[in-house]
Amino acid sequence: MKRALAETVNQSSLKKPGLWPRLRDQWDLQLLGLPGIILILIFSYLPMYGLIMSFQEYRMGDFPGMSQWVGLKQFQYLLKDPSLFTAVRNTLVISVLKLTIGFVCPIIFAVFLNEIHRPQVKKTVQTVSYLPHFISWTVCAMLMMDFLSVDNGAFNEFLVKAHIVDAPIPFFQNSKYFWGMALFTDIWKELGWNSIIYISAMAGVDAEMYEAADIDGATRVQKIWYITVKAIKPTIILLFIMSVGGILNTNFDQIMMLTKNMGNAMLKETADVIDTYIYRYGLGQFRVSFATAAGLVKAVINFALLLGANKIADVAGENALF
Amino acid sequence: MKAKKVASDYILIILLVVVMVVVFVATLYPFLNSLAISLNQANDTTLGGITVYPRKFTLENYRNIMKNSTIWRAYGITFARTILGTAGGLLVTGSLAFALSRKNYIGRKFYTMICLIPMYFGGGLIPTYFLIRTLGLTNTFLVYIIPFLVNIWNMILMRSYFQTVPDALEESARIDGASYFTVLFRIYWPVSTPIIATISLYFAVQHWNDWYTTFVYIRNPNLRPMTNVLLSIINEAKFAEQMASMGVTDIGNAMMGKQTNVRSITMATMIVSILPIIIIYPFLQRFFIKGIMIGSIKG
Repeated sequence: MKRALAETVNQSSLKKPGLWPRLRDQWDLQLLGLPGIILILIFSYLPMYGLIMSFQEYRMGDFPGMSQWVGLKQFQYLLKDPSLFTAVRNTLVISVLKLTIGFVCPIIFAVFLNEIHRPQVKKTVQTVSYLPHFISWTVCAMLMMDFLSVDNGAFNEFLVKAHIVDAPIPFFQNSKYFWGMALFTDIWKELGWNSIIYISAMAGVDAEMYEAADIDGATRVQKIWYITVKAIKPTIILLFIMSVGGILNTNFDQIMMLTKNMGNAMLKETADVIDTYIYRYGLGQFRVSFATAAGLVKAVINFALLLGANKIADVAGENALF
Repeated sequence: MKAKKVASDYILIILLVVVMVVVFVATLYPFLNSLAISLNQANDTTLGGITVYPRKFTLENYRNIMKNSTIWRAYGITFARTILGTAGGLLVTGSLAFALSRKNYIGRKFYTMICLIPMYFGGGLIPTYFLIRTLGLTNTFLVYIIPFLVNIWNMILMRSYFQTVPDALEESARIDGASYFTVLFRIYWPVSTPIIATISLYFAVQHWNDWYTTFVYIRNPNLRPMTNVLLSIINEAKFAEQMASMGVTDIGNAMMGKQTNVRSITMATMIVSILPIIIIYPFLQRFFIKGIMIGSIKG
């Protein structure tokens, strides 16, 4: 018995030579992977190491990460800053809007597209709906501001002419509209693009399911709900988990463009988010360690939320991320 | 075999048509409106009411921006970084993706983990800024290229695609004594057109549209790409508007002309800056849909 075991071990070690010979045999394969791995270590992992700056007091001229240690002082300052509260609130409101309304819109759009049975129409609408995804936020914000402008903006002209409102609405001048504008412009830009993944999931549905439902006398709405939506449910859950992990992220480009680089003071009350907060303190006022601490808190909370959402999905018996 | 329509069917169809029309119009209108303004005489635009076609057609606005050397240089920077960034990104990201797709790649599990962690956790803005500064990349053209060479999302999409290519292709080539370079670039690359087209588009769009890198790392105005120059023009246009509203009638009128002139030029610049992307993406559409499908199946 023992000998047999020893033999198999011997055999397997015969099949699998030592590490060095194997490495020598695939040196070219190793070389292919190496540049990418090195770049990831530099550009993704060194910044993680740089997070230690949040436990230090950075002064001009210090080599990053070599400043004096101050423990949790930066985090204490952070909690005492009243404008942090505003930034967190704005971030959460915008994110939750995007995570609910902004998340559901592409699903509805995809379901509706799936119901169009004329390929030409479907293709045209799809192609047009992808367009804004490929355009920079600079251009998109500019187009939206023009479209929704108070003077001669097409949308306001329409509203006034249709007697829906008496005077044009200052969408981008009044802070009370900003959350809505952040949501609307995001949907406008990414609706079509975000629907692709659902459309491809729907393409996998067996056509016989719909035929069987027809025989059973199901209505079109019933077929959508019980067949189409059910088929894309795993995709929906997976994307939702991933979105939860980004709840404290906002689109920096978008916010900066819609507020003209935070130059529009009237919007700051509702437009200042965690990312702009970190930018302003870190690179504007050069309170580097303080801003790094804010960034660390954000990253940790995001990661915890992702794990939490994943756990819930796992417990609920749904497809989890890991 | 069609079932009889019930009330809910009609509601559905009405909703469907409304949604499609709204999406179609709301997406296309701002673009067409800008195009019309850019092709309309600047003074005529002041009168308002331009919708989706130019009232008094002219190419004057485009001629004006072509005279501007800042625009030419910015266009050059944008093109240069897009071409170099896309080629470099495909090469480095593609090579890593290929290595990670090989089952016998030594260290595969460890390297895969190294790639996955940054997708969920990162150092953030400030440490990254100091890294780039310490590396001496600020105010250099290289800051547009080097940090973008590896894109982990794109890598995972490419890896998933390479995994679907039959192993027999690799094995027979290896038996014939081909190196892994040959296997990747002579055998796998040519049969992976859909994913390469998709990833090229992703890289190109990312580079073409990037505003943030310049905003944070570049102070030298000669290195500014199209996006950032466009933004300056927009902000200057707003500045002109303020001037116009403050002036007395005569000066006001003169400024009004100038203001719309700035608006026309803004629109023309904008159209020029998005034209290459708009021309390219519809042709790659069937590829990127396939690319996303692969990514979604493999998770």
